[in-house]
Amino acid sequence: MNIISELENFLITEVSVDYGLDKKSVASDENLISSGIIDSMGILKLVSFMEKNFGIKINNEDIVPENFQTLNALKEFVEKKVKKII
Amino acid sequence: MDFDFTSEQLELKINTIKFAQKELNENVILRDREGSFSKDLWQKCADFGILGFPFPKEYGGADCDILTTLLIMEGLGCGCKDSGLIFSINGQMWTVQMPIFHFGTPEQKTKYLSKLCSGEWIGANGMTEPGSGSDSFALSTTAKLKGDYYLLNGAKTFITNAPTADLFIIFATTDKSKGFMGITAFLVEKGFPGLKVSKEIEKMGLKTSPMAEVILEDCKVPVENRLSKEGNGAAIFNDGIEWERSCMLASDIGVMERQLKECVKYAKERRQFNKPIGKFQAIANKIVDMKVRLETARLILYKVAWLKKTQNRAGMEAALAKLYLSESLVKSCLDAIQIHGGYGYTTEYELERDLRDSVASTLYSGTSEIQKNIIAEYLGL
Repeated sequence: MNIISELENFLITEVSVDYGLDKKSVASDENLISSGIIDSMGILKLVSFMEKNFGIKINNEDIVPENFQTLNALKEFVEKKVKKII
Repeated sequence: MDFDFTSEQLELKINTIKFAQKELNENVILRDREGSFSKDLWQKCADFGILGFPFPKEYGGADCDILTTLLIMEGLGCGCKDSGLIFSINGQMWTVQMPIFHFGTPEQKTKYLSKLCSGEWIGANGMTEPGSGSDSFALSTTAKLKGDYYLLNGAKTFITNAPTADLFIIFATTDKSKGFMGITAFLVEKGFPGLKVSKEIEKMGLKTSPMAEVILEDCKVPVENRLSKEGNGAAIFNDGIEWERSCMLASDIGVMERQLKECVKYAKERRQFNKPIGKFQAIANKIVDMKVRLETARLILYKVAWLKKTQNRAGMEAALAKLYLSESLVKSCLDAIQIHGGYGYTTEYELERDLRDSVASTLYSGTSEIQKNIIAEYLGL
């Protein structure tokens, strides 16, 4: 399971395209929020995707910038969830 | 798939209808005309347990599951003709009590939930601003951390219960650079310095539910009154909105149920051209349409409740429910007036008030247009 590439692919094909962003790739440290890749609707779609794709349960109190700001942050968050650390 | 409710659940609904019919329908026409909120009736609802049904017993609740709570709220809408009162109750339950219950610290829950469930305190949710309605996260209200407190500055509008509220959940930006993820929620008590409530906003309907603007001028909020973490505000709002878009409308199913019964009764009793008007297809068809909308709305709503009960996300389903139910309610109100003819247009029959009250349902918790946008997004359009 390559978490970053799966997330990157979802963001490019399902989320950023909604906002007219012609993204071919997302850098692992790119700020997903300030760059406009994720907005308030996009994050709901992303959370649903992450829960289904990685078999994790995301609590609403987990939806904070430190977990969602970059692909690196998302990867770390997913890994902790998979290992049931959080 | 089991569509049956238990006998206990049905009894709760029936008892709620009886309670509402007996206790909550006095002087509704006058209170609507005057735009007056009744704290007495609020307390009666609290004493009956309505404000606490879905919350744990340790906070004065009854620990009812979501489906049972929906049934009780249906009963309330069916028995109580004061939709403004019901709206105020719903506003507190789903947008104040539920966020505190889901996101609050044990200390916050202990301090505030009991008082809200008992009716001692009234709560209000402060999200909407003059410049941000449908674009909910485009907030101008800011919150700056100053050691052990925050200073809040900004203005909120269309705040239900504001004139009578003891506690507000205020959403403010703590980090503008993070956009919607820079929003934080705060529990702000009426007495905190810097919070002012403006004069009441007069509305087309729901007149017995008070509404006003809230002004924050260097409003000092202790750090321990922040609800959850910084940046969690959008998630708190989204969580609350799912409850709003479903549970808030359960009582409107009760309204539609009441209107259907009234229309069937009227259509059987009112005679024109030597027969009950219900024998004319033009009238019967309208009543059938009311029935179809009622049962369909119920099914959509119960699906949302089941999803919430099984701890699944219900973003699209809640939007579907909100869109369909609110627009069905307006149509039901229009049909009820039409069926009653000239009498339906009079204040005495209380159907015109139902219609005025119903229009708000297509606006609050996200307009019908926004619900369609949300559904389209989920469909990948």
